[in-house]
Amino acid sequence: MNERLDNLLNRALGELASSSTKEDALKVKAAYLGRKGDLAILLKELGSLPPDQRKAAGEAINRVKDRIEEEAGALISRFDDAEKAERLSRERVDITLPGRSQRPGKAHPVTQVMDEIEAIFTGLGFDIAEGPEVELDYYNFEALNFPKDHPARDMQDTFFIGPDVLLRTHTSAVQIRVMESQAPPLKVIAPGTVYRRDSDITHSPMFHQVEGFMVDKGVRFTDLKGILTLFLHALFGEKTPVRFRPSFFPFTEPSAEVDIGCVICAGKGCRVCKGSGWLEILGAGMIHPEVFKAVKYDPEACTGFAFGLGVERIAMLKFGIDDLRLLFENDIRFLRQF
Amino acid sequence: MIFSYNWLKEYIESPLAPKDLSDVLTMTGTEVESVSSSGPSVSGVVTATVLGCASHPNADRLQLCEVTDGRETYSIVCGARNMTPGDRVALALDGAELPGGVRIKRSRIRGVESQGMMCSEVELGIKDTSEGIMILPQDIPPGRDINEVLGLKDFMMEVGVTPNRADLLSVRGLSREVSAVTGAPFRDKDFTLVEEGEPVDDYISVSIESGAPCRRYAARVIEGVTIGPSPDGLKKRLEAHGIRSVNNVVDATNYVMLEIGSPLHAFDLDRIGGRAIDVRLAGDGESIITIDSREMRLDPSMLVIADDRGPVALAGVMGGKSTEVTDATRNILLEAAWFLPSSVRRTSRKTNLSTDSSYRFERGVDINGLSRALDLCAVMIKRLAGGCVAKGTIDLYPEEIAQKPIGLRMERVRALLGVDPGKADALDILKRLGVQAEETHDGVFKAVAPSWRVDINEEIDLIEEISRLYGYDNIPVTLPASALRQAFASRAFNIKRKVKQVITSIGFIEVINYSFVSGNLFSMTGAATKEGVGILNPLTGEQTVMRDSLLPSLLDNLRRNLLKKNEDLRIFELAPIFTPKGKLPDERWKVAGLIYGLRWEYKWNYAKEWADFFDVKGAVERLFDGLGMYLPLEVAGVDASDRLFHPGKSAALLLNGRRCGVFGEAHPDVVQAFDLKRPVYLFEADIDSIVEAPAMKARYLPLPRFPESARDIAFIVDDRVPYGEIIKSIEDLDTKLIEKVELFDVYCGGNIPSGMRSMAIRIVYRSAERTLTYEEVESMHSGVAKRLAERFGAEIRV
Repeated sequence: MNERLDNLLNRALGELASSSTKEDALKVKAAYLGRKGDLAILLKELGSLPPDQRKAAGEAINRVKDRIEEEAGALISRFDDAEKAERLSRERVDITLPGRSQRPGKAHPVTQVMDEIEAIFTGLGFDIAEGPEVELDYYNFEALNFPKDHPARDMQDTFFIGPDVLLRTHTSAVQIRVMESQAPPLKVIAPGTVYRRDSDITHSPMFHQVEGFMVDKGVRFTDLKGILTLFLHALFGEKTPVRFRPSFFPFTEPSAEVDIGCVICAGKGCRVCKGSGWLEILGAGMIHPEVFKAVKYDPEACTGFAFGLGVERIAMLKFGIDDLRLLFENDIRFLRQF
Repeated sequence: MIFSYNWLKEYIESPLAPKDLSDVLTMTGTEVESVSSSGPSVSGVVTATVLGCASHPNADRLQLCEVTDGRETYSIVCGARNMTPGDRVALALDGAELPGGVRIKRSRIRGVESQGMMCSEVELGIKDTSEGIMILPQDIPPGRDINEVLGLKDFMMEVGVTPNRADLLSVRGLSREVSAVTGAPFRDKDFTLVEEGEPVDDYISVSIESGAPCRRYAARVIEGVTIGPSPDGLKKRLEAHGIRSVNNVVDATNYVMLEIGSPLHAFDLDRIGGRAIDVRLAGDGESIITIDSREMRLDPSMLVIADDRGPVALAGVMGGKSTEVTDATRNILLEAAWFLPSSVRRTSRKTNLSTDSSYRFERGVDINGLSRALDLCAVMIKRLAGGCVAKGTIDLYPEEIAQKPIGLRMERVRALLGVDPGKADALDILKRLGVQAEETHDGVFKAVAPSWRVDINEEIDLIEEISRLYGYDNIPVTLPASALRQAFASRAFNIKRKVKQVITSIGFIEVINYSFVSGNLFSMTGAATKEGVGILNPLTGEQTVMRDSLLPSLLDNLRRNLLKKNEDLRIFELAPIFTPKGKLPDERWKVAGLIYGLRWEYKWNYAKEWADFFDVKGAVERLFDGLGMYLPLEVAGVDASDRLFHPGKSAALLLNGRRCGVFGEAHPDVVQAFDLKRPVYLFEADIDSIVEAPAMKARYLPLPRFPESARDIAFIVDDRVPYGEIIKSIEDLDTKLIEKVELFDVYCGGNIPSGMRSMAIRIVYRSAERTLTYEEVESMHSGVAKRLAERFGAEIRV
């Protein structure tokens, strides 16, 4: 028996070794291990052995069976691996061909910047308010301490719809509307479209502003500096230099013009900052007592600051756009870039 | 305003260098927009002494001179003969540059080397004419740079004066500010006016009409002047400040205005009728021909200076032709006055005349500084044009105006600024600005501003001055304490933001158009006779009326993009439209979109498909779906007012039964008007309707636990039967067990009879409670076939 087993094993191993395909190996495996294979025949003969030899013979057969199984399995998986490797080396795509996807839409760069500004201020707890674009002279000028026939009105050339009706020249008009309808404390920004009767390389007759203001007991100029510094750092980066210098707006006093270190030349002086190293970025100030009086707030009881900024200018700086007019030409090759 | 740095130096002994001065001014609120060097650009020219002159050996008209700058001696060939040995001259050496880009090189002139050139005043750019070379005063040592010696170099500083700071619209006023912000002492000019003529009252009388907006009127008479051109230096200075030279008298008035800030006007005294002038409001129907030869019709809101025949000047704005100073003028009436700023501004705007004078009067002239300007101007006229000044001044100043005292609380300063500048520093700042302040009790001051500071009237104005000179850089940065609260934004605002998100997510690019459009674009939509919100003073004919639809703008965007070969477009805009209502128009927000050209970007792995009606319909569906609005949205036919749309290929959007928009293919007339090659698809929807519609909330529905049974049905039906009705009639059969009805094929042509179309629909049956049996499904499905046949005459194919 043992001799037969040894011969069988040697024969099987020899046949496996000479198998050149997976099919050959499967055939060899079936010939020895299959239901009608050589080992099955031997197993059937076990019954004819004397009972005291059966156990040992059975174990010997199983050992040979295990051995052939192991060898055949290893050989088959070698053939499998080789076949898989061959298939993988055959299958490929040109990964440099362009991908397939729906071309996305884009928000206008002005919208994108506006969203960013709004996110910063709503994060600081500022409400968002809106108002009409065709506005009464009262809200746009008079209540903001621009008296009729005052040269301060020259700062903002105005489109008129009627004697006291105009296209708002700033979203500061919303400041009055909000204060008329709500009592302090207030923290509000008013984003929107504004109009000035001016059109050249650096002026568009329509553009966008974000006005903001805070009114409460004990709001100070230092707070104005704090909030605007924080805002500008959020928008342009922590390291951006910020400076405040005195200016004039009828509805704030003291007023400030706020500059940032030129983002184009990092303050060294270039064409964009006209060599000064600074870029005017927003106007601000402490809300004028006359404005509080117009909305029936007591200027002794509350103080506040207000600021306003032009969105186009910031978009131009952030995206490196050198011509304001591009923003309103609506050439989709331009609009796709953002 | 532009001013000369050298002129400033007449008032400030040693100011900071121009660049540093401009930084200090900018940081204290007087923004210096630019500093440019001016004056003739001269380099390489030094003072030198003529040692000797001889005739040129080869030319009779030339001289050969020996000239020294103190170190070296040069031989110079010269055409002039006005120098003698020992004269001090301006010597341009080899490599020197003269105005106009002239470069001096050593050269041979008629066989003799000339090592440079002796310059005339013309060559140095100092004068327009000159004879011979320039002979300099003897006390100037040789070897010095000519720029330094003659003060040729100047800097023109362009200052953005804010409307409140009228006092900075003059060299003297700016000098006071420079002194206040830099500490350099201000040195006023001394001058003496010699009065030699008869008393001024003998020449003329002046009256101010009661109630006329003139608070002061001062005048002098100068007799026997000779009108002529101004000296070159004066001309150049005026020109550098943007004022054209006219003649010596007019130039003197402008020069003094620039220096002192008070506008002055010179009349030809002999042409004033009746030897009397009246400052009064114009009468109805009066007119005047101004110096610039334009006839102005006047009205009773305009202040004029009048003689016995009528107006001779528009007060504070411009003089009249009839009394202007001409070459024949001998006697001058010189006016310095104070007119009410709002009155001057009104007249200036009504007559569309803005002058250096009106600009200053509008902002506020120092009423107490008039006499200085008047006297300085008289001195200058006398110097430039001769004549003698009549004794005394006419000065009608019925009610002297003095600055009123202002209370200033240090506590308020601290509360507003958040920093304590300290009492002493605050007082020092006010003193530097000419504000007189005294402490009335602890921490409270009574302050009086100087008369030229017309902008300082309240406590807040003083606080501004203190903060300005204290320096914003010295004010610390703090963050305000404030109660925590959720930031609020209206539903309308949030929906607009959401609309942009959804619509960009389906491939639309946002455009922003002007809210005003041309009459042509405006009349493309709506009723032919509609009213619009017009602009009274448009900049161009393209921007005359506020748009009442966004669609014409989008079509215009398409047109412009096609010109640039951008042929496939998916664009949208979100903006308000304007229709007349009450005093303010109705503003309603709209979102509008346009699709043109290819459905997908044409690439190697995309089919080249053209967009059609169902692209725009799909976009609208996705938009409303994205807003959570899909359930109540219905589609109905458009009405005749939608002239932009093809009547058979467009639809109105209904939200809860109310019309809220329109979409579809543009009318063929529009395609033709814009010269388009293929159809264009449009939509416009009303944001406010969406805002007003009840909000939909996403709610969970349990996922199905029992299997579905899907059955297909194909049929031929009249092509006028809307698919919407077919699907509805199927859904109505069993709202519980019919889960989904989906169209998967529509076909016409081929073997389908004309006027008919073939449709294939998949119906999904499912119960939420159990598995449907085969028989149940079959029975329902044959019910569908029956309904289609009965209701629509459909011929069932499968």
